[in-house]
Amino acid sequence: MRHPAAPQLRWRKLGKIFDPARFELPNNCEQFAQSPQALVFDSLVRIYFSSRERDSSNGKYLSHVCFADFTKDFRHVIRVTDRSVIDLGKLGCFDEHGIFPMNILRHGGRIYGYTCGWSRRTSVSVETSVGLAVSDDDGLTFRRIGEGPILTSSLREPFLVGDAFVRVHGDQFHMWYIFGTAWKRPAAGGAPERTYKIGHAVSRDGFAWEKEEARQIIADRLDLEESQALPTVARIGDRYHMIFCYRQSTDFRENKGRGYRLGHAWSRDLTNWTRDDVGVGIDVSAEGWDSDMLCYPNLFECDGRTYLLYNGNEFGRHGFGIAVLE
Amino acid sequence: MFNWNKLGRVFNPREIGDRSWLHEFAQAPCTLVFDDFVRVYFSCRPPPDENGQYCSYSAFVDLKRNNLFEIQKLAVQPILPLGGIGEFDEFGIYPVSVIRDGRDVLAYYGGWTRCESVPFNVAIGAARSLDGGETFRKLGRGPVLSYSPNEPFILSGPKIRRFGDRWYLFYIAGRKWKLVDGRPEPVYRIRMAWSRDGIAWTKIGRDLIESRLEEDEAQASPDVFWRDGRYHMFFCYRRSANFRGRENGYRIGYAVSEDLLHWTRDDSKAGIDVADEGWDSEMISYPHVFELDGRTYMFYLGNQVGREGFGLARLEGEL
Repeated sequence: MRHPAAPQLRWRKLGKIFDPARFELPNNCEQFAQSPQALVFDSLVRIYFSSRERDSSNGKYLSHVCFADFTKDFRHVIRVTDRSVIDLGKLGCFDEHGIFPMNILRHGGRIYGYTCGWSRRTSVSVETSVGLAVSDDDGLTFRRIGEGPILTSSLREPFLVGDAFVRVHGDQFHMWYIFGTAWKRPAAGGAPERTYKIGHAVSRDGFAWEKEEARQIIADRLDLEESQALPTVARIGDRYHMIFCYRQSTDFRENKGRGYRLGHAWSRDLTNWTRDDVGVGIDVSAEGWDSDMLCYPNLFECDGRTYLLYNGNEFGRHGFGIAVLE
Repeated sequence: MFNWNKLGRVFNPREIGDRSWLHEFAQAPCTLVFDDFVRVYFSCRPPPDENGQYCSYSAFVDLKRNNLFEIQKLAVQPILPLGGIGEFDEFGIYPVSVIRDGRDVLAYYGGWTRCESVPFNVAIGAARSLDGGETFRKLGRGPVLSYSPNEPFILSGPKIRRFGDRWYLFYIAGRKWKLVDGRPEPVYRIRMAWSRDGIAWTKIGRDLIESRLEEDEAQASPDVFWRDGRYHMFFCYRRSANFRGRENGYRIGYAVSEDLLHWTRDDSKAGIDVADEGWDSEMISYPHVFELDGRTYMFYLGNQVGREGFGLARLEGEL
C-alpha cells in the first residue's frame, strides 16, 4: 500500500529530441547518446551524453562524452560538439576505456564534471570509479583534476562505484552514486553479470568525499538481485524526489519485461527515502523509441519548469528524449 | 656505511614441495616476534596457469628464535583466501605486512586484479587475526586504501607501523605505465598515509623519496623503523626498463628522517649489495629490518625478486 503522503509526479512526454545517427560526432562516435545530462544557459540548454567508438584493436566499445546545444523549447539542435569534451584516461587509468556518464554541476562560478570512468578487466568485463573534471570554458571542454578517481571501491563497496549525481543543498555537497554488490556467473552460462545499488556520500568542497559506506538508501522492489542505476535528485514542492532506473541483473538486454524501468523515491531530509515507483508518473510507451525500456534519467530545472531527460530502447542506442512536469 | 654481514639464505620455497600453493617465490618477508620463534610472513605462488599467469598467496614460516636458520613450523594453508569474482584481490594477496594490535594481529596486504590493457592493478586490503596471526579474516570485500586523483593505480607494498598514537602506512603508488618494447611496465614511488583507527586513512599525497637513477625509477618496500631519535627507511629501487637482470635490477637504498615527512636519501649508507655469485647475485630487494635479542637483522630477497627465497643479514656495529 502506498504511503498516504506519497506525492505523484505527472510527466508529459515531448518525444525523442536527439538521434545520434543524424549528426557527426567527435572521436569516431556512432550510435548511442546515453545518459543525457543538462547544463542550462541563458539562451540554450547544453545536453551532455555519452556516445561510442569502436575500439579498432578488439571491436569493443569506448564511450566518449559529447554534447548538443538545444533551443529552450528542445525542438531544435543549435550545435553539436565537434571535438572531444574530455579525453579518455591514460594507459592503466580508471577511465581508460570510457566515460559514461558525466554528471554536470554548476557551482560557485565553476562547472564540474563528475565522470564515471570505465576500465576493462579479465575475469569480469569492467570496473568503474568516479572522477572529477573541471571546465573553465563554459563546459566546452573539461580537464580532470588528476589521473585517478575521487570515489572508488572501499572495504564494504568492493567494486563498481559509479554513476555519480552531485548537487549542493545548504552548505553541503551531496553525491548519489551506485556501488556493486555482486558479480555472478549466470546459471545458464555466459559472462558474469553485476548487481549494484544506490548509495550516498557528502562533501564540503566537492573534491573530498565521505561515503555512507555501503548503505543502500533505496529499498529493492524486485528482489535482492535488482540493479539500481543513475540516481537523479531534485526538489519539487516540499519534497526531494529521486528518479533512477532499475532492472533484473540477468536476461535484461533482450527480455523486455526484465529491462530498465524508471523507479522513484521521495524524502523530506535527503537521508530517509521512501520508495514509491507508482509516483514516478512515467512509463514505457505502447510503441516507438521508448516502448521497451526507460533508463538513465536526469532531472533539471529550466525557466521555472522541471524536465526529465531519459533514454529509451536499447540503453539509448538511438538517442534520448525529454518530458516536462505538469 | 652500515656493515651488514650476510648470513645466507634462510628459506627456499623450491625445497618445500608438499603444498600446492607454495611452489616457488617467497617474497616480501615480514616478521612477528614470539617468545621462542620468529614468524616470517611471505608471499608465494603455485605454478602458473595454462596462460603463464600467476596467482599469489601469503603464508608464514616460524623460525626458531635462537637459530633463525631452523624452521619450527610452516603454515599448512595461506593466511587468507583470494577474493571472489570481480573483487580487488581476486588474483593475488602479496605482499603482506603485520602488526600487533593488543592481542590481535592486523595485516595489510596488496590485492591483485587482472586488467585488459595492462597486466594488473593492486589496491591495499586489511585483515585481522584473533589467533596470534595464524588465520586472518578480511575487514571487508573491498580495499582499505585505494586509488585517488594523484595515486591513480598500483597501491601496493604496504608496511604498517605505529608511532605514538597514530598508525602509519608506507606503501607505493603507481605514477605511470611505461611502454618498454611494447610491454607496459609500472613505475611506482614510495608514499605514506596515517590514521587514528587503522581504517580511515589520510594520504599525504606526495613522494617521500626522491629518484636517483632516473626520472622513472621505481621504488618499493619502504621499511621504516625508529632508532636513536630518528626514523630510518630501507627500501629497494630499480630502473624502469630491462630490470629483470643484474644490471638494472633491484638494489637496496636507505633514507633517514626526523619527522616521517621529510626524508634524506643516502644509498651509499645502505651497506648491502648483490653478491658476486649465488642466490642474491643479480638483485637484492624487499628489505625488512627487525630487532631480536639486542641485534638488528635484515631479511631480503635475492634473484628474480624472491623466486628462490629470502636470506638474512646481521648488522655489525651501530646504525
